[in-house]
Amino acid sequence: MLTFLAKLLSALNSEASPGQVAFAFALGMIVGFTPFWSFLNLFVLLIALMVRINFSAFIFGVMVFSLLGYALDPVSIKIGETLLLNPDLRDTWTSLYQNEWLRISAFNNTLTLGGLLIALVALIPVTLVSRQLVIQYRHRFMAWMNKLKIVQMLKASKFYSLYNTFAG
Amino acid sequence: MTKWIRWSGLLGFAAIVGLLAALLIVALPWVIKFSIEFVGTRVAGAEVTLDDVDITVSPFGVELTHLQVADARQPMQNLLEFDQAKADLELAPLLIGKAISNELSVSNLQFHTARSISGALPVEDETEDVSSEPSAAQKVMQELPSAEEILARETLKTPQAAAALKTSWTDNSSAVEKAVNNVPDDKALKQYEADIKAITTGRLESIEDFQRRKARLDALKKQFNADKKAITDARDTIQTSRKELSNALSDLKAAPGQDMAYLKDKYALSGAGATNMTGLLFGDEAAGWASEALYWYEKVKPYLESGGEEESAEEGEKAPRLTGEFVNFPTSDPWPDFLIRSAFITGPLDGGKLKIEGRDITHQQAVTGRPTVFTATGVDLQSIGDLDAQLVLNHTLVPGKDTLTLTISDWKMSPLPLGVAGAELASSRVQLNAGAEVIAGSLSSSAEARVTSARFTGNGQTLFAKELNQALAGINQFSVNAGANGPLLTPDISLGSDLDRQLQAAFNKRIKAKQDELEARLKKKLNAQVDEFAGEYADELKQLAAMDGSLQDRLKSLQDMASTQLESFKEQQEREAREKLEAEKAKAKARAEAEKKKQEEELKEQAKDKLKNLF
Repeated sequence: MLTFLAKLLSALNSEASPGQVAFAFALGMIVGFTPFWSFLNLFVLLIALMVRINFSAFIFGVMVFSLLGYALDPVSIKIGETLLLNPDLRDTWTSLYQNEWLRISAFNNTLTLGGLLIALVALIPVTLVSRQLVIQYRHRFMAWMNKLKIVQMLKASKFYSLYNTFAG
Repeated sequence: MTKWIRWSGLLGFAAIVGLLAALLIVALPWVIKFSIEFVGTRVAGAEVTLDDVDITVSPFGVELTHLQVADARQPMQNLLEFDQAKADLELAPLLIGKAISNELSVSNLQFHTARSISGALPVEDETEDVSSEPSAAQKVMQELPSAEEILARETLKTPQAAAALKTSWTDNSSAVEKAVNNVPDDKALKQYEADIKAITTGRLESIEDFQRRKARLDALKKQFNADKKAITDARDTIQTSRKELSNALSDLKAAPGQDMAYLKDKYALSGAGATNMTGLLFGDEAAGWASEALYWYEKVKPYLESGGEEESAEEGEKAPRLTGEFVNFPTSDPWPDFLIRSAFITGPLDGGKLKIEGRDITHQQAVTGRPTVFTATGVDLQSIGDLDAQLVLNHTLVPGKDTLTLTISDWKMSPLPLGVAGAELASSRVQLNAGAEVIAGSLSSSAEARVTSARFTGNGQTLFAKELNQALAGINQFSVNAGANGPLLTPDISLGSDLDRQLQAAFNKRIKAKQDELEARLKKKLNAQVDEFAGEYADELKQLAAMDGSLQDRLKSLQDMASTQLESFKEQQEREAREKLEAEKAKAKARAEAEKKKQEEELKEQAKDKLKNLF
């Protein structure tokens, strides 16, 4: 089981360029800012798995933005509410509502729409900023990080050795 | 482009989705079972058990086997149970947590079935308040006490008047006795007559004789005056006593009438006690049905939302964190959180079958835009001709409006204990039309039942029971009107019927008879008291009256005797001389007339002789 998981993670994390890590991290924002158990997030998961981006960064992004989203929810809901109850957009929403798959996406949920909108608007800026951060990290902090005891303990674990084996 | 695609990721996605789906299918029956039992138990307030839950894949759905919902009020009884329920579930809405079924079928739904083990929850004991307050029937019974009880219970005028008469007699009788003792008796009066006769008859021989007689007469007159005063005093005493005793006797004689008037007023069984006999007879049953209906409505009510209420809640409150709110738009295929488009429920009823059809069952009618409608129809029922009911829960608008209509025809009602004096409606046929409406927590309902071929029986032995049975025996058809209006939990309930009128008439008749009987008995008893006290005194009073008359006669005799005068000696001499002169005159006159008659006879003879000689 561990071998299978290590193999999978190794494959998913093979894409480790700063851009791939940064986009994966930013993609986690969509999941973090919207209700976790939703068809939309299943679709985001599919993208995260199918597109060559760093999956660990995606998971990390989901965790970070979920915490942030917890605080941001009222704003997301307000935005979603404003959009969904906007009379000018009513016809648009009504026509979208007739589509079963879109309805499954829960676009008519105030938090989903608001959170998604915030995440989409912030996706590119966050990707760009994250990319710079990854570069700076690798250049300035990675060597220092690798010296930390906790990191060394993790690297000494069986799971990490398996992971390294498959990662080459 | 393809260099951006990671095909192994697709495999991972499939693995994750497959794993989730497998987990869902494996865990779902348990989750459903747990949810139904946990939530059901909280809602019902008693144990809810489900034997088994199966998930069907094609079509995707759920199958529940043998659900039992215990009755919190009677834990050894199920509120309802059914053998099997099948529901298909639309997959797409389910992905976003919405349970939508196109068709639900429930078989063998039964209400109030017995349980083998108690369904009570281990909570604090509910001690039922068994009230010992007397029922309305008992109150009516209390209004019909016996004559003895009434006489013992009441402070009546008759005994008081009798006691007053007795006291008056005691006080007056001694005074009368004393006064009467001073009055001369018959013997004394006869002696007086003899004495007066002796004094006033016979010739006065001399002046001395005259004076002697006069002195005796004066002494008698003095005695007469004393006796006259005694008689007058006695008469006064007797008259006063008679007046007082007459008044007391009048009071005593009037007392029973006054007592009867008072008792009739106080214990008047004018039928007022029977004016709401319908409530008395059917009140408990109606209350039971209403309680059952209210119990179910209260269970359902929390899940009924009106669209406006939902919207106003949306406007007035902040949306919950992390979940948001679904904004629904017009569509021909609405997705509320829970929806059963059609439900078909069958269960045994009265030897036949009860078919219940439900449409658009949901707690979010604002989303569907349609009310929830239940229709119930009886099929092949044994004791009911036709049964049709419709319940419309319309919460698409504000305020919500829930409407129930019920029609039952030719219902051969099973014996219905009336809960009063052991009486029961042994058999009857009922036509029932009922309707109820709840708007904004306000109930407005009415029901009209026409009961025909009614036959009442009863074996109660109390006075009331007997009277009730007698009254009911003559009634074979009646109608009952019921209404409940006002706040749902505390409506004003009215229960009326021409049974009241009929029963009241019958009761009045019976009560009149009983009243007459009671009145006669009371009169008899009161009169007995009057006789006991007044009888003796009435005779005595008659004697007093007779005595009064006798004294009057005696007084007259004495007055006559007292007026007797003794003439003086001179008057006697003059009277005798006058009488002698008168006698002489009469004698001379008679002699002269005889002489004259003799001369006339002689002249007649001479004339006859002369005539003879001529011829």
